[in-house]
Amino acid sequence: MRASRVIMAAASAAVFALVLSACGSGAGDGGDAASTGSDDAATAGSDGAATGGTEVSIRGCTPENPLIVTNTNEVCGGNVLDAVTSRLVHYNSDTAAPELDLAESIESTDQINFTVKLKQGYLFHDGTEVKAKNFVDAWNWAAYGPNGQLNSYFFEPIEGYADLQCADEECAAAPAAEAMSGLAVVDDYTFTIKTVSPTSNLTVRLGYNAFAPQPDAFFADTDPKKANFAQLPIGSGPYKIVENDDQAMVLEKFADYSGQYPGSVDKVTFRIYDSTEAAYTDVVANNLDATDQIPGPQLIGDLWKDDLPDRWGTKDTGVIQVITFSPIDEQLESIEMRQALSMAVDRALITKQIFNDARTPATGWVSPVVDGYKAGACTACVFDPDKAKELYDKAGGYTGTLTISVNGDGGHQEWAEAWCNQLITNLGLDCAVNATPDFATLRKGINARELKGLYRGGWQMDYPSIENFLTPIYATGASSNDGDYSNPKFDDLLKQAAAASSNDEANALYQQAEAILGQDMPSMPQWYQQSQFGYSTKIKSLKMTPFSTFDLGSIELN
Amino acid sequence: MGKFIVRRLLQMIPVILGTTFLIFMMVYALPGDPTDGRCGQRPCPPQYVEAFRREYNLDKPVIVQYLLYLAKLLTGDFGTAYNGKTVLHELSIRYPVTIKLALIAIAIEAVIGIAAGILAAIRKGKFIDNLVTVSTLLLISFPVFVIGGLCQLVFGLQLGWFPVTATEGTWEQLVLPGIVLASLSVAYTARLTRTSLVENLRADYVRTARAKGLTVPRTIAVHALRNSLIPVVTYIGASFGALMGGAIVTERIFNINGIGGYIYKSIHDRDGTALVGTVLCLVVVYLVVNLLVDILYGVLDPRMSHD
Repeated sequence: MRASRVIMAAASAAVFALVLSACGSGAGDGGDAASTGSDDAATAGSDGAATGGTEVSIRGCTPENPLIVTNTNEVCGGNVLDAVTSRLVHYNSDTAAPELDLAESIESTDQINFTVKLKQGYLFHDGTEVKAKNFVDAWNWAAYGPNGQLNSYFFEPIEGYADLQCADEECAAAPAAEAMSGLAVVDDYTFTIKTVSPTSNLTVRLGYNAFAPQPDAFFADTDPKKANFAQLPIGSGPYKIVENDDQAMVLEKFADYSGQYPGSVDKVTFRIYDSTEAAYTDVVANNLDATDQIPGPQLIGDLWKDDLPDRWGTKDTGVIQVITFSPIDEQLESIEMRQALSMAVDRALITKQIFNDARTPATGWVSPVVDGYKAGACTACVFDPDKAKELYDKAGGYTGTLTISVNGDGGHQEWAEAWCNQLITNLGLDCAVNATPDFATLRKGINARELKGLYRGGWQMDYPSIENFLTPIYATGASSNDGDYSNPKFDDLLKQAAAASSNDEANALYQQAEAILGQDMPSMPQWYQQSQFGYSTKIKSLKMTPFSTFDLGSIELN
Repeated sequence: MGKFIVRRLLQMIPVILGTTFLIFMMVYALPGDPTDGRCGQRPCPPQYVEAFRREYNLDKPVIVQYLLYLAKLLTGDFGTAYNGKTVLHELSIRYPVTIKLALIAIAIEAVIGIAAGILAAIRKGKFIDNLVTVSTLLLISFPVFVIGGLCQLVFGLQLGWFPVTATEGTWEQLVLPGIVLASLSVAYTARLTRTSLVENLRADYVRTARAKGLTVPRTIAVHALRNSLIPVVTYIGASFGALMGGAIVTERIFNINGIGGYIYKSIHDRDGTALVGTVLCLVVVYLVVNLLVDILYGVLDPRMSHD
């Protein structure tokens, strides 16, 4: 019987092996394909050297959404789509200033009717030419309610947007129209945009990813979600995507790219990392060529600059952090209380001790990297504990415990504790940090207006305009108006600025609007953000854009 | 024996149904909606939320969601994760990596753990025994992220003996993570082997074997060790499941695209489809390994035969 037992054991082992392979059906194939890919990556260096090809690897992360420009609003997918697509307008990688890219000209006399003329001869990666209809069709598709695109609201300023939305939540009845009345193709290289109301900074907005044109292949995808197209999206950018899996997204230089922002190296691999620590360690070991994130602990005492001698850099980015006053907390309504809570905190001390000066104390609500920035709009952002205490007493104090709600998964607890401690010391109130398990839980609490006290808000600009820091956050009823701020005078100034005939005039009006925020304190500006990055010894230099992404056209190798 | 295996395989069905149901419910009970944090500072457009909820059946009662999921599962469709990639595709890439890692860890655990245990047992009270006891105690008391981080820093970064990370999941990349992952269970295996063997070496049948004139190595290897390995095999079998699903920390440190990280990400995204599919595979593996262990008992000790 012994022999049969051994045979049974062996047989079960075989069954076990079968189960394992069945469980990830095609496991072998997937694994093999993946390791072949990596072998290629490993050997391509030597192969590439022979043929003169250059390549770099950059930290990537797993995209949250299918790779469609109108359905991607986070950096993991955005980084890749940035290089794969080109838009009418390109943002300068140093100054974020808008420069015409696919557009020959964008003209308007009344800030309502815009005429866009395209440069001729631009190609998509599949060889078809970029024409006016590629824009109009793409924008109509993205704005069409039933397609449920994340970035659909970017098309809201265009006339007819409302007709493309579903009447009811379930979208049982089809919307009234399938195309926006404000868009019209004039000829192959010309189309017109009509906006609902004057929009003086429309040109700046058109550089956002969501406004990229889609090739005919996009519309040929029969899947309603364009899932097949999203595997390897086709754009008209300097790089085309050739591989997209769990370990890496590989881009190759587009040979027929005819724009002014060509790529530098021949091949860019976005290698996927779950943790920034692992990516950082790989850059230190020269295993990875660049990371756009430095882990928090390495920033303390500038450890990272020792780990990466002469291969690090920083860039001011269009990100501002604020603390919002909960609209359901009556005790926080008075302006004196708001000013007191803001003036009682020494921002410079926190940015120095906790962020090692990787943040700059804010003096207003608009990031310094955008056109139209003016320092000092927030008069109550100046540290003055005596004045703060005086204002606090005048406001009648805060009864109970004041909470600062932050998401516990983003490294926000440290500064929140510090902020609390300064309030306790300088104002004598009770303060506690409420850390939610993750960002989603915090947003749920804020969106449902369930949280009292103070909560964190961060804003990364969509497009480099002073308007992008004011309208979406502080206009009455705006989508990101977490504090339910409303001031007719402020709204009116925004409207006037949008209708202004010149950029300078618009900026001046936006600055006046920001000054109103200084009087009303809808939120407490905290600090402007800076991004840190590191690279391997293979790279001589590379630039980071004000959007915290690498400028792939700027890479120089040693 | 055949009957035994069939019975055990049939028992798996309710276990699988139960675990998938429980996990489905747990994901559902997590606070927050999958779309809450997807649009950053602004709430997602309502039409996006509606389309998203319709696509993933989130607009239906949880029981209906579960039944719809099961119905799809029976046709071999593991569904689509929230980022638009099919779960089956993800699993087909991630499972081989995790299995490789677990196999390396199991091999280290079995070979080094049992060898150290035997050495310690036959040299009981001597230097080697103390060495094993102290070193395993050290391993047990260190959390895995300390060992992992330290190994990566010293052997990967400073000495350069091993690759720093294992993004592509090749065998040579996975050796260091495998050692780290095995470090805890290797300690337990060594201690278990030692205790069990020490006990058996004192047993009457060992004295009888010696009295019969058998050599010491043969007595230990064939008679005592075989009886001592039963608890060890149980432990190694049980740890295989833990090694596969519980490698989250090790996977993060070495950037291994395996199952642990996928489970973590799915929970974070409240992605029930991805999570249940992944765990389902883990459960099947775990059950099969335990069945194997039970069969091995019979080989090791005929008294436990399943005939």
